Amino acid sequence: MNKSFIISGSGGQGVISIGQILANIFMLSNKFVSFCPCYGAEMRGGAVNCEINTSDSELLCLQNEKVDFVIALNQASFDKFLSKVKENGTIIVNSSLAKINKTRNDIKYIFAPITQEAIKLGNIKMTNSIALGILSKLIGELSIDNIKKAYERILKNKTELIQKNIEAYLFGFNSI
Amino acid sequence: MSEKQLLKGNIAIAKAALNCGCSCYFGYPITPQTEIGEFLSLEMQERNLAYVCAESEIGAINMALGAASTGAKVMTSSSSCAVSLMQEALSYACSDELPIVLVNVMRAGPGQGYIFPSQGDYNQSTIGGGNGDYKIIVLSPSNVQECIELTYKAFYLAQKYRNPVILLADGLLGQMAEPAKLFDNPYPNIDNTSWILNGSNGRKSRSIHSLEPSQLKLNQHIFNLHKKYQAIEQNEVDYEEYLCDDADIIITSFGSLARHSKAVCNHYREKGIKMGLFRPKTLYPFPYKRLNELSKKTKLFIDIEMNLGQMLRDVRLSILSNAQVSFIGKPVGDWLKKEELINAIDNIAKEQYASI
Amino acid sequence: MQVFSTPKTIKENSSFTFCPGCDHGVALKLVAMVLDELNLQEQTIAVASSGCSVLLYDFLDVDCIESPHGRACAVATGIKRAHKAQGNNKFVFTYQGDGDFASIGISESLHSALRGENITAICINNTNYGMTGGQMGPTSTLGQITSTSPLGRNKEYHGFPIKTAEHIALCDGASFSARVALYDVKNIINAKNTIKKAFEYQKEGLGFSFVEILSSCPTNWKLSPQDSHKKIEEELSKTYKLGIFKDIKNE
Repeated sequence: MNKSFIISGSGGQGVISIGQILANIFMLSNKFVSFCPCYGAEMRGGAVNCEINTSDSELLCLQNEKVDFVIALNQASFDKFLSKVKENGTIIVNSSLAKINKTRNDIKYIFAPITQEAIKLGNIKMTNSIALGILSKLIGELSIDNIKKAYERILKNKTELIQKNIEAYLFGFNSI
Repeated sequence: MSEKQLLKGNIAIAKAALNCGCSCYFGYPITPQTEIGEFLSLEMQERNLAYVCAESEIGAINMALGAASTGAKVMTSSSSCAVSLMQEALSYACSDELPIVLVNVMRAGPGQGYIFPSQGDYNQSTIGGGNGDYKIIVLSPSNVQECIELTYKAFYLAQKYRNPVILLADGLLGQMAEPAKLFDNPYPNIDNTSWILNGSNGRKSRSIHSLEPSQLKLNQHIFNLHKKYQAIEQNEVDYEEYLCDDADIIITSFGSLARHSKAVCNHYREKGIKMGLFRPKTLYPFPYKRLNELSKKTKLFIDIEMNLGQMLRDVRLSILSNAQVSFIGKPVGDWLKKEELINAIDNIAKEQYASI
Repeated sequence: MQVFSTPKTIKENSSFTFCPGCDHGVALKLVAMVLDELNLQEQTIAVASSGCSVLLYDFLDVDCIESPHGRACAVATGIKRAHKAQGNNKFVFTYQGDGDFASIGISESLHSALRGENITAICINNTNYGMTGGQMGPTSTLGQITSTSPLGRNKEYHGFPIKTAEHIALCDGASFSARVALYDVKNIINAKNTIKKAFEYQKEGLGFSFVEILSSCPTNWKLSPQDSHKKIEEELSKTYKLGIFKDIKNE
């Protein structure tokens, strides 16, 4: 399985965190994986993105022309990364912060009001985990044990926060 | 040996440095390598080691120079335009024969350039910007695991040859994360009691200096350094060869970009075209000899770099007129992607072989 | 009768290579005497710099490293801290000229003082770049004729000189900052005591200690040794006042 992902949004939406969690999940599943964030001054501009690649053999392509999956958590990311989706790839769009608009017919669109769902769950900061849940459902083959472990690695011993994020993740997973 | 962790290149370098006994770090912030200094600040203070937020890169490298004279394992890290500021002290460190590990996580230049990645400091590292006849060992990691391996090796070679060593990473590798194992340092410690400055207690006093008013002695000193460099060239050349033995086309490429080049090889192999990859892990000493051997049976070499042809000079010096050498490069920014490279290579190959 | 012998810390059979009448020799001898008196010779690492002071290691019988021009305080910082990290307390001092300390190296010098590095810096101020033949330096006085200020240093054209010891005294990390001269016996004795105090402050771990030594440069001043000393006594010590500008123990 070779798969590539771009996760994008604005600062504070937890883009880098779920990127790292996703990379950890693949690592814990004994896959080769690379996580490449945008960095430095770019981050201060408010737009954040990262690219994750995973492979069953030595991971070679760190940056790709096009990727299998894009998560766009706001309008700017939707606009910027739509063209990066491979033919037959999928884009997950946060329709709370981006207009529903399908301009390509060679890809799969998933629009979900992720921010609103997070607010309904009681914490806007769960936006990223809901998105990750949706993505996981599409990828399949990820074990819930590894997902829990990945959250523990990133959030260390913040037990309550881990629990909430996993709930949000599962909400996302079961929402489609 | 610990389990695999998802490690950032910068953090991997910092952890490996601590792991092999680096007791002194001096640095000044510059993107994209700042995490090295940030990570070490707490770790080193907690261990009562020497850590100084230097006033400048000039201050940092000269603190490293002083600290190295005590026999301590010393590291500083920086990036491109700020490594330019260190060239004077590097020349001194070579003449003084002081072991310093300098990590350069390359960003875009020339001048201030920008923070995004590049491989534009190949010349700065291997040829150098300092004065005089000197050489610095330059190690080039291509993944996070190698960041660890080559940090250990950098400290070892610095001590073994009493010479500065540059670990030449790039902004992409410094910032990216991938699974890596922080294994134990495999190298032995080198006895340095014969030359370090620790007070003349019970022995004759020593001096470490590069000034030498006697022509005769200065020539002798530089000849001695040259002999040492020859030994380095004899013993320390390191490279990765991938499917080169039967290759009709060999790509030369270094650092993390060489991974994209390897993906390109796989693409052509699947199409039945015999392509290989040759990746120097030591940029100095450069593997001239091996590349020259390969050039006797391979028709075409394609050098791929994230600059406008810096290693290309060494590749050409290896291959001479034995084979064709083409070049694909881009100065800075997003790495040349597999698809871009395939397009470019198809065009080169069309000129070389009508059959492709 | 008092018998003078060569200090233990001066290398046997070494002969100074300074110009006739230059005060460097006196200053170095004082440093050596103080190292003897404080029994520091075998635990000292000295940092030489570029300029007339560079050949320190030819004269002083201590471990010594030469620093790139101006970087002596940074090099000393590295040495002191590296030894400390290995659990050793070594005595580290720099011996620099005014061009080295206060011009090209002012960043390294001031920041070492600000950080309170526990090292000592000795700065020989002879108001010009001596080794290269007497060019205008950061300490050349207003009106001073040098090979690069042939009409005399002019404040509108060249700008002002720096009063180094006073600047160091402003640094919170400095434990001691003083200026001394060597133009007569009384001042030489005072200079020695001052160097001793600066060295003792380092031994006590009080932070950056600094002594600026007004020093003659007969060759480049184009004066006899006697007239050079007279110039220091009558002119230079008016611009560059002698005394202690900071003493952490008297605060």
